[in-house]
Amino acid sequence: MSQDADLKAKFKTYRINESEYKHITSLLGRPPQGVEWALFSALWSEHCSYKSSRVHLKKFGKTITDKVVTAQGENAGVLDLGFDEKVVFKMESHNHPSFIEPYQGAATGVGGILRDIFTMGARPVVLADYLCFGEPTAKRMPTLIDGVVRGISGYGNCVGVPTLTGQTNFDAAYNNNILVNAMAVGLLLPGEELALSKAKGAGNLVVYVGAKTGRDGVHGAAMASESFDENSDAKKPNVQIGDPYFEKLLIESCLSVIQKKLVVAIQDMGAAGLTSSSFEMASKGQVGMKLDLSKVPLRDAQMGPEEILLSESQERMLLVCEPGKLADIQKEFDIWGLDASVVGEITSGRKVSLWWRGECLTEIDPDLLVENAPMYERPYSAWAPKHQKASLPAMSTDAKTWDLKGQLGTSEHCDRTWIYRQYDQRVQARTVRGADHDVAFHRLPSGRGLAVTVGCRPAWMKRDARIGAFDAVLYPSLQMAIKGAEVQGLTDCLNFGNPERPEIMSEFVASVEAIADVSIALGAPVISGNVSFYNETLGQNIISTPAVGAVGLRGDVEDIPHDRFQEQGSTALLVSLAQVRTRAGLTDFTGELDGVGVAAKIKGLSELVQSFKASEILSTQMSGRGGLLLSVAKMSMDGVGLAIEAGFTLEDLSDEVLYQMVFEVSPAAEAKVQAGLKKLGFDVQKLGVTQGQRISWKNHGWSIDEMKTSAREGFGGLLDGIS
Amino acid sequence: MKSIGVVRFPGTNCDRDVLEMAEAKGFRAQYLWHLDQFDTGAFEALILPGGFSYGDYLRAGALSAKSPVMKSVREFAEKGGPVLGICNGFQVLVESGLLPGALVQNTSRRFIDDWAELELVNSHPYFGKSGVSKKIRLPIAHGEGRFYASERDLDAIESNGQVWLRYQSTPNGSMRGIAGVMNQKKNVAGLMPHPERALYSWMGGTDGWGFL
Repeated sequence: MSQDADLKAKFKTYRINESEYKHITSLLGRPPQGVEWALFSALWSEHCSYKSSRVHLKKFGKTITDKVVTAQGENAGVLDLGFDEKVVFKMESHNHPSFIEPYQGAATGVGGILRDIFTMGARPVVLADYLCFGEPTAKRMPTLIDGVVRGISGYGNCVGVPTLTGQTNFDAAYNNNILVNAMAVGLLLPGEELALSKAKGAGNLVVYVGAKTGRDGVHGAAMASESFDENSDAKKPNVQIGDPYFEKLLIESCLSVIQKKLVVAIQDMGAAGLTSSSFEMASKGQVGMKLDLSKVPLRDAQMGPEEILLSESQERMLLVCEPGKLADIQKEFDIWGLDASVVGEITSGRKVSLWWRGECLTEIDPDLLVENAPMYERPYSAWAPKHQKASLPAMSTDAKTWDLKGQLGTSEHCDRTWIYRQYDQRVQARTVRGADHDVAFHRLPSGRGLAVTVGCRPAWMKRDARIGAFDAVLYPSLQMAIKGAEVQGLTDCLNFGNPERPEIMSEFVASVEAIADVSIALGAPVISGNVSFYNETLGQNIISTPAVGAVGLRGDVEDIPHDRFQEQGSTALLVSLAQVRTRAGLTDFTGELDGVGVAAKIKGLSELVQSFKASEILSTQMSGRGGLLLSVAKMSMDGVGLAIEAGFTLEDLSDEVLYQMVFEVSPAAEAKVQAGLKKLGFDVQKLGVTQGQRISWKNHGWSIDEMKTSAREGFGGLLDGIS
Repeated sequence: MKSIGVVRFPGTNCDRDVLEMAEAKGFRAQYLWHLDQFDTGAFEALILPGGFSYGDYLRAGALSAKSPVMKSVREFAEKGGPVLGICNGFQVLVESGLLPGALVQNTSRRFIDDWAELELVNSHPYFGKSGVSKKIRLPIAHGEGRFYASERDLDAIESNGQVWLRYQSTPNGSMRGIAGVMNQKKNVAGLMPHPERALYSWMGGTDGWGFL
C-alpha cells in the first residue's frame, strides 16, 4: 500500500479527518504513531469531545446558581437541597447501541448512567427513562420496544434502583433510529463524602476495579459519533454486554471505599473505556500518570494494547489512592468478591505514559487529547418560526364523531402500564409515587418529597424547535408545580441529527438557548447533560429531541394532589396562560410563547398548590397532547367524570394550548384557590362539575368504562407477535 | 434483648429496607453475611430479604441456598426459630428445602410490579403477631414468583394449613393462587409480596406493618 493509501485507511479506521490529522501532527510536532491513533480517535470523537456542541453548551454555564455544588465537567452535577441533603443527577443517551441490540443497549445505558452517579459517592435512588420509538408497525419495532423495556427492567430491577418515571413517544421519524435516554438520581445524605474524578498526588496508585476487560465495545464511542447506513447490523460487535449483578457489587463496594475516605479520585470507565477515564482524570488534576496496560485484568489474554485502551466492557472503575490505603481498599472489594489491581501511578510530570510488557508505547500530554480537542462552530442560522400562522383552520369534525374511546387506544394516548409494570418501582422503600403518576416522588430522609419527571414533546419540536425546547423544560416544571413541588435543577440529553447540516445545527442552537433562558428564569440550573448527534439513518434525521430531566422539591409528601378526579360534585377549574394554540395533527400553530414569562410564574404556582390540603385541591393535571377533552378523559380514569359547561366550544375542547391546566377543587376551597391563581396572573374559568362514570358536554356523552378498557388494552395491541 | 438477623447475600437489594422495618418496629437488627455462620442463640427471628442474590444465576435462590450462612439458618429453623423469606428470600428458602414447592417464572414471562390484593388464609404464629387483617394489599415485584407444586403436594399444603397468603386474583399464575406458605411446623414462612414496602400511608398502604 502506498503511504497515501495507508493514511487514508487509517482515517477511515480511526474516524479522523484530514484537518484533524494535521492538527494532531502540529500538536505533537510529528505525525501520530501506534496507539496514539486510537487515543485521538476515541477522545476526539463527537461522543467524548462534544466538538460540535461545546461552543454552545457554554450557555448552560450561565444557569449555575449558588445551590450548585459541582456541575458540567464532573461525572454528574450535584445540587444542595438544604438540610444537608444533596442530589446528584444526570441523563444520558444510548440510542445507537439500543437500535442494534435493544436489550443490551438499553441495559448498559442504565448501567452507565448509574455509574456516573455512584462514582460521585452518591447512592442511586431513582431511575427514569425517556424513549422515542417509530411507528409500532415499522420494521423490527415491536422487537425493539420489547427489547428496550426488558433491558431497562432486567438491569434496573436487579441493581435495586426503582424506575419511577418516564415518557414514551411514537413517531415515524424514529423508525430507523430510536431514542433510549436514561436518567439516574442519587443522594448524598448528611455526613456523606462527595467524590471527584480529579487525580492528584505524585506517587499515588492507579487502581482498576470491577469486571475484566474484554473485546466488547471496542470503538463504541466512535460508532456513536456516526450516522447509520444499511450495514448497521455489522456493528453488533461494538455493543457492550452488561451484568447488573456485578454493578450491584460495584455500587456497594465503591460507596464503601468512598465513604471510608480511602480514595483520592474515582471515575467510571464509560465511553472510550480506560482511555477516557485515565486521560480525563490526569487532565483534570493537571498531573501525569504512568499506566501499565499489561497489568489490566483481561477476559481474553490475546488482547493487545489498542483493544485494551478502547474496550467498553461494562462495570469497571478506575480509582486513585494513597499507597498506604491500598490494602484497606483491596480488603473492602474482596468482601464483595471483586479484585482491585494496581495498573499505574500518578507522576509529577504532566505526561501520561502508556506501557506494554516493559516497553513505553507513548508519552503524551493529556491536555492535547482532552483540552485541545477540536471545537467546531458548525454553520447555523438564527431561529425563525416556520409554522407560525395568524389563525388555525376551521374544525371539520363535529362532536358526534368524536371517538374518545378510539383515541385513547392509540399509541399516542394509550396507558403505558404495560411498560411500567415491568419495572420495580418500590425497591428501597422510599417511593411515594411511581410511574403510574404524572410526577414521581421519592421521600427524602428529611421527610420532604423529591420530585422527578422528564420532558420534551416531539410533536412540539416538529412544529417549532424554540417552542419545543421551552416546553421541554416548562411542561415538566408545570407538572411539578401543580403537585406543589418546585423545580430545583435540570439535566438534558440533546438528541439531534447530523450537526454538519445547518438546519439541524440551527435547531440545536435554538434549543440550547431556549433551555438556558428558561432555566435561568426558573432558578433551576442545568447541572449535567449529554449530547447525541448523528441520529441519522440513510440521510433521514430524527426529530430534534432535547430531552430534559427535572428534579424538584416539595416540603412534605402528605398532601400531594392526585392526577385523576377524586370526588363527585367538586369543581373543575381551567387554569390558563394561553399563548400558543394548535390542534392534534396540525404542524401550524398560532401565537408566541414567552418562555421566560411563563417560567417566572412557576415558583408562585408551586407555592400556592402546596399551601392547600389534598382535600382542597383534590387533583390537578396539565392539559396535554390531544387537547382539553382528551385530558379530561385521562383525568376520569378512576371512574369520576365531568359535566363540562356548555359555554365551551368545540375548538376550546380540541385545541392544544400552551398552557392549560385542570384543577379539581372542593366547593369550600374554590373561591380561595381561584383568587390565589388570579393573583399570580393565571386566567381561571369554571370548566365543570365532577360526576360519576360519564363525561358530558351539551348533548354529548362518553362512558368512562369503555374508554378505560380501550386505554388499558391499547399498548398490548401495538406489539403484534410479542407475548 | 435478642436481635432480628437480616441475611445478606451479594445481590440482595431489600436488606436496608427490611433492617429499617425491624428498627421501626422497635427491634434490634443486624446483618448476617452469606459467608459467615452465626450463633443461633443470639437471634429472636431471621429474615431473608428480596433482591437478586448471586444475580439469580442458575435459578433464583439456587446458589444462595448452598451458601455457608444457610447452615446456621437451617440450624435455627430446626430449633423452631421463626424464619421469614420475602420475595428472593422466599425463593432461597424454597431452594433450600425449608419450604415446600418451587417458584418458577411468571406465566406472562415478564417481571411484574403491582399492588396485589391478598387473603390471609392461616395466620403465622410469629410474623403477624401485631395484627394482619384478613384482606390486605401489598406490593409485588418479581419475575419468578409463580408458586408451583404437584397436585398431591398442594393438597397436603392446603390440608396442613400451610397456606399463609392467597392472591385474590393471581397475577403470576401461582397454583391455587398461593402467595405465601409455611413449613409444617409453621415456624418458617415465605411470601412473594413485600410487607416492608407498605408500612406508612405515604408508601400507598400500611398493611405490611403488622408482619413484624
